[in-house]
Amino acid sequence: MSTPRPDQENPEIVAGQRVLGVVPGKPPGGDRKVLSEQEPVMVWPHLLVRHGVAALVVIAVVLVLAIFFDAPLREIANPTLTPNPEKAPWYFAALQELLSMFHPLVAGVLVPGAIVLGLFALPYVDRTSTIEPRFRKVAVATFTIFMVVWIVLTVIGFAFRGPNWGWVWPWQEWYGEL
Amino acid sequence: MIQKLSAWFEERMGWKPIWTALALRNIPKVNWLYTLGSATLLVTVNQILTGILLTIYYVPSPQDAYNSVAFITNEITAGWLIRGLHHWGASAMVVLAGLHMLRVVFHGAYKFPREITWFTGLGLLAVTMAFGFTGYLLPWDQKAYWATTVGTRMLEVTPVIGDWLLRIARGGEELSAVTLTRFYGTHVWVLPSVLLLLLGIHLFLVVRVGISAPPTPKETDEKPKVWFE
Repeated sequence: MSTPRPDQENPEIVAGQRVLGVVPGKPPGGDRKVLSEQEPVMVWPHLLVRHGVAALVVIAVVLVLAIFFDAPLREIANPTLTPNPEKAPWYFAALQELLSMFHPLVAGVLVPGAIVLGLFALPYVDRTSTIEPRFRKVAVATFTIFMVVWIVLTVIGFAFRGPNWGWVWPWQEWYGEL
Repeated sequence: MIQKLSAWFEERMGWKPIWTALALRNIPKVNWLYTLGSATLLVTVNQILTGILLTIYYVPSPQDAYNSVAFITNEITAGWLIRGLHHWGASAMVVLAGLHMLRVVFHGAYKFPREITWFTGLGLLAVTMAFGFTGYLLPWDQKAYWATTVGTRMLEVTPVIGDWLLRIARGGEELSAVTLTRFYGTHVWVLPSVLLLLLGIHLFLVVRVGISAPPTPKETDEKPKVWFE
């Protein structure tokens, strides 16, 4: 006979789980019955320890970056001196790259609008009854293609564009701005 | 010693049921990808703390903004480090939030009953981008000024209300002292308020509804019904 899990024998824990337990309802997709199928674990220590380790790694990385690479500060803003190229922050580089390729209505309105709508509609578009990626090929494939395109556009806009938004090789001239 | 201390607090605060409810819950066995959300949260805390420190010396007016940032960087003890942490933390926040979203999408974790968690998550991503965008202008150097010029110009392409959006963002036709105070106020008051509200709902639901299990192949290889077939 297997030993009972700590939560099953401790009435306090059972009460606590009742307070913050899952809300009732029947899943049309999604997943809520997993606990009975898989061996459940406790948040402490299983997940919290991982959170702690991940936190230390993230702190270390940001600290190392901050120590070895100073936050940039250029000369004071000068409205009469337009730099060439003018670059948006890196996380908008894909959007800026799109704007250089397509009509502003497409790149600035239709595409970002479709992305926002698509993301919000995702739970209602992907209505498969499973969460397994191999049975959600359309959702996974669409999102993968979107991500790859977005990352490629970001890298191009960030590192491969120079004066007049012309193509430059980043190892020859560097115009990327963080 | 620790037990005594914990008993002392327990008698006065009764915190143990909260700890029990939060930490002694059953969850599905999860992997390292499930730490991306908490890593984003941690960077958010870093941004709040370093941001508060930066506001002590930062002055949001065109001439003083640049000088105060230069002062923070060059004169104040560890000012360069605080600014560096805030600068790199900003990029880390965008990257980690993006990775967190990837995990959620590929695991189908946005499905019922977690739609509201997903919506608030999207809101938080938008807030993060807005934080980055408004914070970018604050040093008032060439890079800040022109990146914001380019960024706000993107608003102009919106049909019908484009001009109006542009003027709201800039506080006029061109970037000026008004733009700077607008961005500053948005960056330190408006966005943090929205962030804390969305984050509160997001985290509450993570505990309340529970996290989704990583997708594991079922023993039966029966293919479930899919909508596109």
